[in-house]
Amino acid sequence: MEPELTDDRTDRRIISVTVNGRRCTADVDVRKTLADFLREDAGFTGVHVGCEHGVCGACSVLMDGQVVRSCILFSVQADGHEIVTVEGLGDEDALNPLQQAFVEHHALQCGFCTPGMLLAAVDLLKHCPDPTETQVREALSGNLCMCTGYANIVRAVRAAAPHVRSG
Amino acid sequence: MEPSSTQWKGRPVRLREDLRFSTGRGTYVDDMKFPDTLHVALLRSVHPHARIVSVDMSEALAMPGVVCGLTGEDVARMTKPLRSLVPIPVALDAYCLAYGKVTHVGEPVAAILAESRYLAEDALEKIRVEYEPLPAAVDPEVAMEPAAPLLFESMGTNVMWQDRFDYGDTDAAFARAAHVFKKRFYIQRYSSTALETFGCTAVYDDHREQLTVWSNDQRPGQAMPIVAHSLGLTHAQIRFVTPDVGGGFGNKRKAHYLIIAALLSKLSGGRPVHYLEDRRENLMALIHACNGVMDLEAALDEDGHILGMKVRDVADEGANVLNPTVHSILKLGNLTNCYRIPVVRYEVNSVMTNKCPSGANRGIGKPFMCLAMERMMDYVARQLGMDPIELRRRNLVPPDAMPYTGPSGALIDSGDFNGTLDKLLPLIDYQDFLREQREARAQGRYLGIGIAIGLEPSTSNQSAYILSSGRRNASGSAEAAMVRVEHDGSILVLLGDVGSGQGHETAAAQIVADELGVAMDGVRVSPFFDSAVTPWLYATGNYSNKFAGTDVGAILGAARKVRDKLLELAAHLLQEPVENLELAEGGVRARDRHGHRKTLAELAFVAYRDLLSLPRGMEPGLEGRFYYSSDLANVPDENRRVRNQLFASNAAHGVIVEVDPDTGGVTILKYGVVHDCGTVLNSAIVEGLVQGATAHGIGAALYEEFDYDAEGNLKSTTFVDYLKPTAVEIPDVRMDHLVTPSPYTPLGMKGVGEGGAIPAPAAICNAVENALEPLGCTFDHLPLTPERVWAEIEKARASK
Repeated sequence: MEPELTDDRTDRRIISVTVNGRRCTADVDVRKTLADFLREDAGFTGVHVGCEHGVCGACSVLMDGQVVRSCILFSVQADGHEIVTVEGLGDEDALNPLQQAFVEHHALQCGFCTPGMLLAAVDLLKHCPDPTETQVREALSGNLCMCTGYANIVRAVRAAAPHVRSG
Repeated sequence: MEPSSTQWKGRPVRLREDLRFSTGRGTYVDDMKFPDTLHVALLRSVHPHARIVSVDMSEALAMPGVVCGLTGEDVARMTKPLRSLVPIPVALDAYCLAYGKVTHVGEPVAAILAESRYLAEDALEKIRVEYEPLPAAVDPEVAMEPAAPLLFESMGTNVMWQDRFDYGDTDAAFARAAHVFKKRFYIQRYSSTALETFGCTAVYDDHREQLTVWSNDQRPGQAMPIVAHSLGLTHAQIRFVTPDVGGGFGNKRKAHYLIIAALLSKLSGGRPVHYLEDRRENLMALIHACNGVMDLEAALDEDGHILGMKVRDVADEGANVLNPTVHSILKLGNLTNCYRIPVVRYEVNSVMTNKCPSGANRGIGKPFMCLAMERMMDYVARQLGMDPIELRRRNLVPPDAMPYTGPSGALIDSGDFNGTLDKLLPLIDYQDFLREQREARAQGRYLGIGIAIGLEPSTSNQSAYILSSGRRNASGSAEAAMVRVEHDGSILVLLGDVGSGQGHETAAAQIVADELGVAMDGVRVSPFFDSAVTPWLYATGNYSNKFAGTDVGAILGAARKVRDKLLELAAHLLQEPVENLELAEGGVRARDRHGHRKTLAELAFVAYRDLLSLPRGMEPGLEGRFYYSSDLANVPDENRRVRNQLFASNAAHGVIVEVDPDTGGVTILKYGVVHDCGTVLNSAIVEGLVQGATAHGIGAALYEEFDYDAEGNLKSTTFVDYLKPTAVEIPDVRMDHLVTPSPYTPLGMKGVGEGGAIPAPAAICNAVENALEPLGCTFDHLPLTPERVWAEIEKARASK
């Protein structure tokens, strides 16, 4: 589906993206990144921007179930697609098993990498429901954490795996 | 001080912050945007050193969405020069934007304010700057020479501070030594690179003459006076708010940006102005740890006891005009590491070069000091044919010598260094390893072990900078906090130091819950610092592992003020003597648990509403504010000895590595840390910080370097060329603890946070050398990248 032109200029589009189950329509600059759209237009500030060049993974979100880096996608590329951010995983009263495990294992310190880590872990457990430590480490190697030294994150993901499996 | 209850303290309770962060509900500075917010983009220097001939903003200012802009000329007219935190001999004409010249790549030259960051960055491309490039001072030792290009002509030199500390008669010690060894060590530029970059939102209300700044600056106590001075505002006109901070590690301090945002808000008629570094700006121009050169000389007797040491240090400060000499001063704290070395000479050279300004970074100077000392111990042991662990043991300060004052006046308040080593060796299966190494070598595999022990002094004493500046700009070690029982009996805590991932909300709640006899859930700790309501002082901020040393004292002091008042009020209402009462289960009750009790809500009702029921003369309200200053802090004595930091944690690190001789790749097979930070308030926090800090040390040892070419151009400005370790490279650290409580902190705690980053580079470098011992490879430079290791292996093979 081609995004609709908003006026005679070619640099703006109206896009419609389903974010955490809610449809979000906005008139955006074609160069606006998906991360900026999610933060500014959709209001999901759990999307964190750490490097803006696709290396640190903090801005990771799920697009149609696959983990992507929202800082190096344009928002127009998400037009008509489904996005899940960390806010879509669960909230304080109803934590996702991974979030629960992150809390139980103190798998974070400053919390800035956490949304991206969680979504990368969701992606991993979907493809690999019972990962070894090495598989967890490799799957998370695209997400930088400057605080924890990763050990508790790896523990949390492995601890969450059976709960995610049993759904 | 009477002992406090320990219902919550000491328990590894879950961190309340973790719930907020794991659901993406943190509120960071980039979330501090309001309707109508304008955005700043900064044009940055592409030259290491150049005169600015002209800056033409006309085309940029005419771009769509652009509101206004600033140049160096503008800020020189509108503001006063930046006031250095450490007074330097000559006033430097340095402003929030480069004025007259640029002194490093990435220095902000001009600012654009626009309706969006996109439009602001578009406009940057239309700014025309004419530069006249100048030769750059890059190598710090060359920069010290008289003919070197000068960063600031008014100083007449690039040497910011040159000094010699003679702590005892080192010459005499060297004269009677059986052995003298000398070795040179280097450290590269690196940084902890918090995942969230640095920035702020500012609202300058010209009408009310009020500036509000939201920033993730780690030291609001120091940012405030710099911003106020430059803008010509009083402190009372500025409100400073710190939201959630996405990691700090010392780096997040740069008053330049706060001043720029404030000016632009003023120029735009008081609209909110937001600036956040992008990652490239962060890597180029926020803060690097100093690179440096250190010459160490050690004098030993026949039996391997160190008689004295000479240290000559050159710290490359870069274009550091705001916060110089910090790395040189902090080395005083671990100048002799954990060893009993009676006399030391310390020669300081703090030098400016055309590189990113240096500043605080996890450990500040101490990682290099420890690297040199612990590498030297291995070197000396090799030369003497001694076991490096035995050489260390012979020189460690013994437990019965605690508290121990080293030659520079640095205090080791407690510790059992032999004890930490004793626990380390089984933790890393030391005996088994020696056999495995022999077997591996027989098969042509290169396994190595490295040990490093590190002192981890914490809680900076601001008096130490009298040594480098000659002036008493500040003194002491302090922090402030507030505890208030609210009108309904709930409890609110405000902290001067809100932390940046160290779990201060949880830790403070544990302490206050015990003091006031309530469940932790009943204590709310604000994650925000707000200068309008939070008590604060110049020392306020998140740095120097000072939570244990001063923050706890502030929290306890505030809680005890409230506790005492609650008891006094309850005594009056219950007609019981105070000494018969105690705080427990959410109220005040009789110690024998008979008779009436008063809940906090009932007491608060009287304190805030039913004022005529208060005892005669009692001030209404249940609020305690406490400014805690450690009485251990001192000023330099006549021999220039000072406790530059107050409390010393320590750790022993042991690492086993394998080196691939064909690629030079280093793999960590096992990493053990025995840590002693005194009494543990919450082991989840402590263990998390030790693991994380060790990862920083591993990064510095193996991967990270801000690489400048000979002309001063920075070659590593993204996470593609400035390599951070990932989950694949960082091992799960085996950890054990030793607890030697500090006799001087309120709860016996000592600092934790910097620790792992201090000994890790030395331990890894020792391990790699040990692995390659059959080839005789030695390493002077970090990081130990495959390229560097492979080159040494090839060199060693060629010479055989």
